[in-house]
Amino acid sequence: MTRRVLGVDLGSTTAKAVVVDEAGAILASSTVAMGAVSRAGMHRCIDEAVGRAGIEVGDVSGTISTGYGRKLVPGIQRSYTEITCHARGVAAMVPGVRLIVDIGGQDSKAITVDKDGLVVDFAMNDRCASGTGRFYEVLARAIEIELPELGPLAMRGSQDLEVSSMCATFAETEIVSLMAQDMRVEDIASSVHRAIAGRTLALVAQVGRRTPVVMTGGVARNPAAVHFLSRALDHEVLVPEQPQISGAYGAALLAMESFLRTSPPVPDVPGADFIFPRVDHTAAGHSCAGCDGHLRGKVELGAAIPLRSS
Amino acid sequence: MSEALEAQQRLQAVARDPRAYLEQWRQAHPGGKVIGALPMNFPREIAYAAGVLPVIVQDDQKPVTEGRALLAEFYCGYTRNLADQAATGRFDMYDALFMADHCIQLIGSADIVRAVTPQPVFFGMLISSLSDSWAGAKIAEMMGEFRSELERFSGRTIEDHELRASIVAYNKDRQLLRRIFDDRSAGSAVHSPTQLQDYVVSSMVMDPVEHHRLLEAAVSEPASRDRDARVRVHLSGHLCHAPRRELLEVIEDSGALVVDDDLYTGRRYLSTDVDESLDPLDAIGKWYAQRNVNIPCPTRVQHDADWDEYLVEATRSSGAEAVIHLMPKFCEPHMLFYPELRKSLEAAGIPQLLIETEHEGIPLEAFRTRVEALVELTLRKRPVHV
Repeated sequence: MTRRVLGVDLGSTTAKAVVVDEAGAILASSTVAMGAVSRAGMHRCIDEAVGRAGIEVGDVSGTISTGYGRKLVPGIQRSYTEITCHARGVAAMVPGVRLIVDIGGQDSKAITVDKDGLVVDFAMNDRCASGTGRFYEVLARAIEIELPELGPLAMRGSQDLEVSSMCATFAETEIVSLMAQDMRVEDIASSVHRAIAGRTLALVAQVGRRTPVVMTGGVARNPAAVHFLSRALDHEVLVPEQPQISGAYGAALLAMESFLRTSPPVPDVPGADFIFPRVDHTAAGHSCAGCDGHLRGKVELGAAIPLRSS
Repeated sequence: MSEALEAQQRLQAVARDPRAYLEQWRQAHPGGKVIGALPMNFPREIAYAAGVLPVIVQDDQKPVTEGRALLAEFYCGYTRNLADQAATGRFDMYDALFMADHCIQLIGSADIVRAVTPQPVFFGMLISSLSDSWAGAKIAEMMGEFRSELERFSGRTIEDHELRASIVAYNKDRQLLRRIFDDRSAGSAVHSPTQLQDYVVSSMVMDPVEHHRLLEAAVSEPASRDRDARVRVHLSGHLCHAPRRELLEVIEDSGALVVDDDLYTGRRYLSTDVDESLDPLDAIGKWYAQRNVNIPCPTRVQHDADWDEYLVEATRSSGAEAVIHLMPKFCEPHMLFYPELRKSLEAAGIPQLLIETEHEGIPLEAFRTRVEALVELTLRKRPVHV
């Protein structure tokens, strides 16, 4: 029977789970919005994903978690940061990607990756929710529409009202003020999107602009957010079919590489000299070069790891 | 409890509560005078030779309250904390305050200290431009002023033999600290970064002879612990005050192992001894100049001393695989230099992470994610030896 592994991304507002097979193909996925990091939401998300894959949780050969709640996920073999997982997932979804802009519920990240999909550099917000999904929620609430309507509404805006995007709280005040001046809600929405794109551009500047650019995270489902980021970058921004699950997918791929590989990896990376034999480690917590983790003392190497003699 | 453990706990207690130590010191030295010295280069040897206890003023990590109205938000957290300590009377543990520096932000806080504290304040500006032919003479002149001022403050003449003895005491303490730091950069993982910070900060506060005796006891029991498989990192920055202990703990808890640093409350403090063979005042002047050669400081201008070159070389020497920059928010000297540091490390292929620290509000979980991400990308770069 084909073995399956699970990747779980427990974010600030949403849980995502992806089941992949030994070839790394997505068998099933689930996304559950839960308000805040929630164990109940996480369990429902995992149950949905494995159920859709036609298996039980006990049939999963390995689990890797990511996201702010990564340490809360039960039964994991190890966890990775969302930076590594998004890079891994997006590199598989959009081969050749060099810059990833991930905007989630409460954080935003810019990640540059190399040709092998490995992280080169990253920047993320650490003190302010400006430019995150939370900011869009504030906007939707202020102009009294549902979140999914926000993007299409903003796409109809034409006038730039120069809204400040520095603080989610103060921006709400500014939006209310603009509404009191009878400004069109389409223009308010588009102006906020434009300002947020400018904020994201500052994050991108920290790691350097690269192309192709891919946007992930829940906010990537908002067409106006993608449109205005594309205009700010002056370059097309690609969006995977399921932008929210790229972190969980990356975690699942890392799990697949760690737990399902049965043959020694073939060094298909330039500079690689050796086929590295499987090695059994005995030291607890051992983590050797390029190692994806350990499972009951046994460590295996991923396929994309260059092996050098010195 | 063993003597070593007892000494370690004592050093930790002093580092974390200098006020309690100073109260005890005053009880043991009736009539003794204590001065608060603002970082980074005050020649404590001169004060100690005058029979005065010179204490480098620490960030006491209390929230900034009244000081908020005295220094603008765009001053670094440490200088705003100094202003707050002065404004709320927390400098009452010092009999006078001395400053010997040129950092633009520290100068701002020195002005506040001068304006709001009742104690005498002496501000001696050491020159920052060290490549000029007249630099040595200007430094010597300022060291002479410190001597005169400290004689006036203490009411006694500082004899050369007293200055020499003071130099020996501080050198001895620095040398022992340096030995511990050298052991760490050579491969020992016995001491955690918070423990080393406590050793250095307590040295900044205590009588050097007493500190040396305690430190000797603290490291007297043979101990060995090799580095584990964590990613070896060099901590760089925090030029004039200690990073928060919680941050150091998060770094080592996130898969990184600190193997070296150039922090003020680390190797920067103990980088240089005063030459005991020279005229003592000249030697202290040369110490000030040499510190910038041994570990360059971005507040100074010296054409043949580069922090970026130092940093790349330091990582090679300690085997550090990555650098974590700890930059206090609004630290202008560090901000000015950071692009050069970043470029040099990039050219050398050394992964790096910038963490901007603040006096209040430390987003530890976000920092944890970023350190773990640095660890993950650095692990991927590790060569496999077969």
